[in-house]
Amino acid sequence: MSEIAKTKAQLDSEFAELYREHMRDLYSYAYYRIGNHHDAEDLVEQTFLQAYRHFERAQRESDGRPLRPWLLRIAHNLAANHYRYRSRRPQTSLEESEPLAALHSTEDLVDGRDELARVLEGLKRLPDDRREALIMRFALGMDNREIARALGRTDGATKVLIHRAIKQLESVVAIAEDGG
Amino acid sequence: MSGSANVESLLREALSPVDPPPDLASRVTSRLQSISDYAADELESWELAAMRDPRNWLRPAIALLGGGAAGAGLVLLRAHQRHAKHADRGSEATPPGVDES
Repeated sequence: MSEIAKTKAQLDSEFAELYREHMRDLYSYAYYRIGNHHDAEDLVEQTFLQAYRHFERAQRESDGRPLRPWLLRIAHNLAANHYRYRSRRPQTSLEESEPLAALHSTEDLVDGRDELARVLEGLKRLPDDRREALIMRFALGMDNREIARALGRTDGATKVLIHRAIKQLESVVAIAEDGG
Repeated sequence: MSGSANVESLLREALSPVDPPPDLASRVTSRLQSISDYAADELESWELAAMRDPRNWLRPAIALLGGGAAGAGLVLLRAHQRHAKHADRGSEATPPGVDES
């Protein structure tokens, strides 16, 4: 029993370290992915609770590799479930099922700069996987391999995904510029 | 706006890291702490509760029997060794071919 308690205490302290190290990354991901602080907080909380349950196994299987992609994978799955749940709820109003654009204002983030606001608005119009890849790359500074692990794709598929996401965003932003 | 490089640099600027609200860290920590405590309590109470169920006595009983058998085997082995030692000493005292009587 004392051996179990010792191992558990050790695991708890390692988890606390993981948590401190990645809290900001996870929150940034959640905020840009979900689009509002309230749901982002819930997503981060749920992610860490689920990560805690599987931490020992993840450590064993990670083979010394960083656990950030694993944490983001959990957040990615929870976010997908969040949207599935929202879209299936029969009582969901039309307003609630509007795209993310309605959920948070970009003014706070871009300090009134039109070009940045257009990029963020364009980002919200991309498909989920493309948007997520761009958030991981540009908000969290993850490389292709990390993003691939977080999204459960190959490195090659991730490279293509990011390339297409940037191209699509370019054209969305260009259309927005032409339109006014 | 022109080119991917421009979009990329704008993205880097627009997607600046967002600090979590200060109370989120303490909330998550206390949730994790309560889960951790609960798990430890659960484990202890599970062990106690498990021993109240006769179906869970089989394994300790087997272990006890196994331990008992191993112990008995050890005693027999020691006795055998002692006996062999005595026999050796006896044979040293009376060389082959000499009648003790």
